[in-house]
Amino acid sequence: MRSLERLALRVVRALDSASHRLLGWRYNPLHQSGAIAVALLALLIITGLYLLIIYRVSAPWESVARLQGDPWLGRWIRGVHRYASDALILAVGAHVLRLFAQARSWGPRTLAWTSGVILLLLLFTSGWTGFVMVWDTFGVQLANAGARLLDVLPIFSEPIARTFAGDRPVPSAFFFLNLFLHVALPLGAGAGIWLHVSRIARPTLLPPRPLLWGIVAALVALAVALPAPLPPRADPFVVPGQVPLNLFYAFWVPPAGRLPVWWAWGGAIATFALALLVPRLTRRPREGSWAPSVVDPRLCTGCNQCPQDCPWEAITMRERDDGRPTLVAHVDPALCVSCGICAGSCAPMGVGPVHRTGRDQLVDIRALARDVLDVTALPQVLAICCENAAPPQLDLLRREGAVIHPVPCSGNLHTSVVELALRGGAAGVIVFSCPPRDCRGREGPTWLEARLFHEREAELQARVDRRRVCSATMAVGDGAATVSEFRRFRESLVPLGVLSPDELGDADAICEPVLPVATRGRS
Amino acid sequence: MSRALPRLAVVVAASAAALVALRAASFVPMTDARGESAWVRLSWSARPERIEQCRRLSDAELEKRPAHMRLRLECEGRFARYLLQLTVDGTAALADTVQGDGLRHDRPMHVLREHPLHPGARRLQATLVRLDSTTATAGDSPAGEQGTVLGDRETREREERVRRTGESIPPRLSLDTTITLGAGRVVLITYDGTRRTLVARTGSAPP
Repeated sequence: MRSLERLALRVVRALDSASHRLLGWRYNPLHQSGAIAVALLALLIITGLYLLIIYRVSAPWESVARLQGDPWLGRWIRGVHRYASDALILAVGAHVLRLFAQARSWGPRTLAWTSGVILLLLLFTSGWTGFVMVWDTFGVQLANAGARLLDVLPIFSEPIARTFAGDRPVPSAFFFLNLFLHVALPLGAGAGIWLHVSRIARPTLLPPRPLLWGIVAALVALAVALPAPLPPRADPFVVPGQVPLNLFYAFWVPPAGRLPVWWAWGGAIATFALALLVPRLTRRPREGSWAPSVVDPRLCTGCNQCPQDCPWEAITMRERDDGRPTLVAHVDPALCVSCGICAGSCAPMGVGPVHRTGRDQLVDIRALARDVLDVTALPQVLAICCENAAPPQLDLLRREGAVIHPVPCSGNLHTSVVELALRGGAAGVIVFSCPPRDCRGREGPTWLEARLFHEREAELQARVDRRRVCSATMAVGDGAATVSEFRRFRESLVPLGVLSPDELGDADAICEPVLPVATRGRS
Repeated sequence: MSRALPRLAVVVAASAAALVALRAASFVPMTDARGESAWVRLSWSARPERIEQCRRLSDAELEKRPAHMRLRLECEGRFARYLLQLTVDGTAALADTVQGDGLRHDRPMHVLREHPLHPGARRLQATLVRLDSTTATAGDSPAGEQGTVLGDRETREREERVRRTGESIPPRLSLDTTITLGAGRVVLITYDGTRRTLVARTGSAPP
């Protein structure tokens, strides 16, 4: 499974790289696949409302043909509905691939993954009913494929396939049932989306407006320029030689038709079961970089910042049991994804994953300052880089003369590390984050920016010269932008010269000594 | 500006290509090999005949039973099985035993079979023959002697039995017809419950 994840990650990076070159990281739709899926679902519901008014269960194909005959509204609304449903599958596919590739499918994310698999099943079922509702040659093909599968189950008194045999008209009740499911399932999916995002704080349900309206405009343009054709009406006395197959929803029809029906069922059940098993197959031991955050209750001041910053709502404040009047933070390891963002939020450095708390970071940066920054007479620029952002670009920065300090997430970075790096001899510190919507910790770049420049706890101290600090985005495939950003920052440091001893001050006065690990305890 | 325009053009071109690809994947022409043949489809639902041994109860026996359980004829039995056969131009194409659905086979029997044909004029012979023989027992005569215990209910019981017998499929059905079909066309052989016979159709069913 790990090799599959690595392969998927290579695919994701290649796609991201192409998308960044084309659209830039701000509008890379692949970073917004989940939000785009929700937006497309909303678009489907809006366009579906209009189609619902026109649709007649007593004359399904004829009512759709009437829509198709209206060039001003009906035809393109139907086209947008159709193309949005296809794009929805693409968005969901990209979403699944990204989460799988980035190992975001297990542990605390199991609920999101499992509910996502069920949502996908609902989506396919709803799509199936939508195609059948039209009752064209493709609709009857799907109906027959579904009937073939369902008729082997001992639950129907009369074979469903007989409904389409032609010895009697297809009852309106059949189309009513399809219509009901086609409307009810997306509404049910709305509740499913609530469950899907229930474990994350501040879920982003819509993409940025330019991207959102760009997608809507593109789908409308496609529907106007190339309207969705309406195949001929289904006729039980005709077997058409060619049927327009929708690959997004009916990719399974040709192979399933060639297989014995129980094999087809077996394949479907095995695929579904495998999808549900992914969280179990991809899980990691909760140690090392996957260890959940812990709280040192002696250091916790009860400021309530880490629960606010935690993107997974894994931290709550509780009553203390040591008599102190404040509350104390508590991390639920079952909800913690080990992003370490809490470590960056804690001024007294009392919370964070093992070996990634603010105090651990200070130890690391001291060592770096001693071993690397001090050995050169020339002031150097320290580039603190999110190690998930674009690993190949670290070499580009090295060639530019940067001292690289990789971190698991820029949101994990404690601002005291930046200050200490400057005190340790760095002329400037530039922090490269992954694109904000691609952060595995969800809100790392957002909180980093707020802590460095907008005084969010644990803020970068006022005494630090902000001209010597910079935050930037490192997007895979866009090495030129990374290098350009680095050069621009380095050049901006030239007029500032070397840090004076007055500016440096006493490092230990601001950075607490590291407590022995043995004294830390989990709250 | 000089760099933005070519970039915008590339973005527009790439987006257009992606949209065209989306549309192409939405309407992939799928060839259905079934469309190269003509087809005969046998499809109907009908109630099989009931094979039962009946005994006529006397008034004395009926009086011993609760009022709601009084029926003049007490019957035990099962539903008949049928042999379905299809020959095309004199060659056997299909031979199958069919019976009522359900674990006890007491539900209507549903027939749905398809067989490919070479396009052109074809002689089709379809038969459905009851496999199980029925032996009428003295007790099941509908015109039996009328008792006094049941009153009007006995008449209704008799009418109900006649209705059920009329609903069930005849012991032998056959159709012999010659039909010309093109590729991708379907002839439907179905049971007409009103005329109690097999019929062939090549066009949409009447509403």
